[in-house]
Amino acid sequence: MNTGGLVLIVGSLLAAGGAFIWLAWKLENGGLGKPKVKAQVQGQLQIAAQEDVEHIFNTEFREELRNRGRLHFEKILGENAMFLQQDLRQTTTQLNDYMRAEITRTLQEEFKKYEQSIVDAKQIALDSIQKTVATIEQQRQFLEQQMKSETDSQKQRLVARFESEMATIVNHYVLQAIGNQIDLTEQMDFILAEMQANKEAIVEDIKRGSS
Amino acid sequence: MAALKISTLVVSPSDLSRLQRELVGLNDFFVSAQARQTGTTMQLPKLTRVLNQLAHDNRINLLEDDDRKKLADALKQVEHDAPTLHVSFATEASPKALEKLVVWIRSNIHPQALVQVGLQPSIAAGCFLRTPNKTFDMSLRSSMKKNEPQLLKLIVGAIDGR
Repeated sequence: MNTGGLVLIVGSLLAAGGAFIWLAWKLENGGLGKPKVKAQVQGQLQIAAQEDVEHIFNTEFREELRNRGRLHFEKILGENAMFLQQDLRQTTTQLNDYMRAEITRTLQEEFKKYEQSIVDAKQIALDSIQKTVATIEQQRQFLEQQMKSETDSQKQRLVARFESEMATIVNHYVLQAIGNQIDLTEQMDFILAEMQANKEAIVEDIKRGSS
Repeated sequence: MAALKISTLVVSPSDLSRLQRELVGLNDFFVSAQARQTGTTMQLPKLTRVLNQLAHDNRINLLEDDDRKKLADALKQVEHDAPTLHVSFATEASPKALEKLVVWIRSNIHPQALVQVGLQPSIAAGCFLRTPNKTFDMSLRSSMKKNEPQLLKLIVGAIDGR
């Protein structure tokens, strides 16, 4: 039996039920005349209806309906199981995709954070190196300036000392260079000129010494 | 006797002392000559060029006792009165240079001045003169000290020229 047959049976049952209901309604609304008769008829009709229902919906029919219902239920259950399986498979696939996407996204975010951390660390290291280089450069400039200042100061001291002791230094060099090679005869003009320049003082001192 | 003329051969007080000793020796010779026996030979003393020159310059006859006595007195007077100048040189002075210096000193300072020569290598060139009360630095060092600005200018010029 297919669905069409089942619908036909259910439709005939509903039509018979509707006819009983219409009849009962008609009787109750003055179709039979007297209330006592009316109540009697109504009682008979109810009994007849119940008997007809018992007659139509007997055990075999119920069993048949139960079997049909069971089969239909099993069919629906199978279909639903299949749909559920498909849904489950689809959901699993989607879940996998979602998990993959999430994991990928999370990993990318982590990688981005890691890269950012590396970039930050690199920047910090570069900043530190630049600061160190700047500090070293400052130190170098300071030392250079200090050394230059010290050198200039030393140079000034040496020049001042050289200037103050220049006659002695030159004399020393002359002495080292020529030693005893200067003939005294060649110096006589210089010596006599010096004597001439100091003549008065020499004479004066001799006079004072002899008096 | 007039002031004794001292030749340039007599430079220092040592020369003067040597002359005095030589004169005493000559006197001794003549004394011993008078006391000699007839017929004995005598060796005449050999006079130095300095004494001969001195006698010649002052017209003294060394054979005469009086002249020798005058010379001895004059030499003693010079020893007492003549000023002595101490002159130090970097090297040993040659006789020629020393003569030139003595001539100048006796012409300009004192006619009987004596010169005591010393050695002072550190002065390099020039001389260092010491009179009774003063010292005169006439060395190259002193000269350079006096002309220090000029010397500095020359050194700076030499450095800049380099």
